[in-house]
Amino acid sequence: MDTTGSASGQRAATWAWLTLVVITIGSWWLSPAHSGGTALPSAPITAVVLLLAIIKSRLIIRYFMEVRDAPRWLRHSTDAWLAVLFAAIFVIYLI
Amino acid sequence: MTLTARPEQRRDEHVPGDNDMWVMVLGDMIIFAGYFIVFMIYRSMHAREFLAAQEHLDVNIGVVNTVILLTSSWFVVRAVTAARAGRSAQAIRLVYGGGLGGVLFMALKGYEWVAKIRAGHGNSEMFYSFYYVVTGVHLIHVLIGLIVLGTVVRELRNPGRRRATVVESGAIYWHMVDLLWVIIFALFYVMR
Repeated sequence: MDTTGSASGQRAATWAWLTLVVITIGSWWLSPAHSGGTALPSAPITAVVLLLAIIKSRLIIRYFMEVRDAPRWLRHSTDAWLAVLFAAIFVIYLI
Repeated sequence: MTLTARPEQRRDEHVPGDNDMWVMVLGDMIIFAGYFIVFMIYRSMHAREFLAAQEHLDVNIGVVNTVILLTSSWFVVRAVTAARAGRSAQAIRLVYGGGLGGVLFMALKGYEWVAKIRAGHGNSEMFYSFYYVVTGVHLIHVLIGLIVLGTVVRELRNPGRRRATVVESGAIYWHMVDLLWVIIFALFYVMR
């Protein structure tokens, strides 16, 4: 077994976990529950929220699920899923 | 192009887990993408109503639950590393740690549901009917994930087995539960 590769993979995953937690706590301030009952729709905030969700999802896919080291078909199909899903979400939001 | 000149298969490339697990995980990802898109269509038709309902969600619990699930995934990542290095006892402990995160997540989610229903946010509100269905289906996946982690522990306990692909496959399912939750959190709790 390739334990050195695995160890560096684990270090990268730990950084990914830390980044994920920081982004999650950061999004706490963005939520409408924080507006004291007067939340207004906001395309810029929604765009930021969705961008952060894409970053989080991709960190989970690449570092936790180890798709980073996977063959091309798997890297591309997970990226395509993210791209299509979030593009659809944002377009529907804007309509 | 230099990119295409690269050999098709890198030396260290490998499919984590087995292909059957990926078929299931990718299938679930597509099904959930469908739920998310249907939710967005209804949301855009009733934007004001959805946003007002969203303000009553407890974002504190949402954040805590997200951190719990992310941390439990991180335990499972470390379990995979330990299992690969042959440290089965440590791997089992880490899988239990991951499972504990899942149990905590379910308990908090249950509390959140009860609190919302008691506060009068039932299925009559469209946002909450989506909320109960989507988080409910997700919760079933958490439960399945816990069973999957149980099979990983059984595999690691048996010195004659301990196949890396079984451990990796279980981990991938668990991370999918996490991945779907992160998107639910953004769409239901945070976006405006």
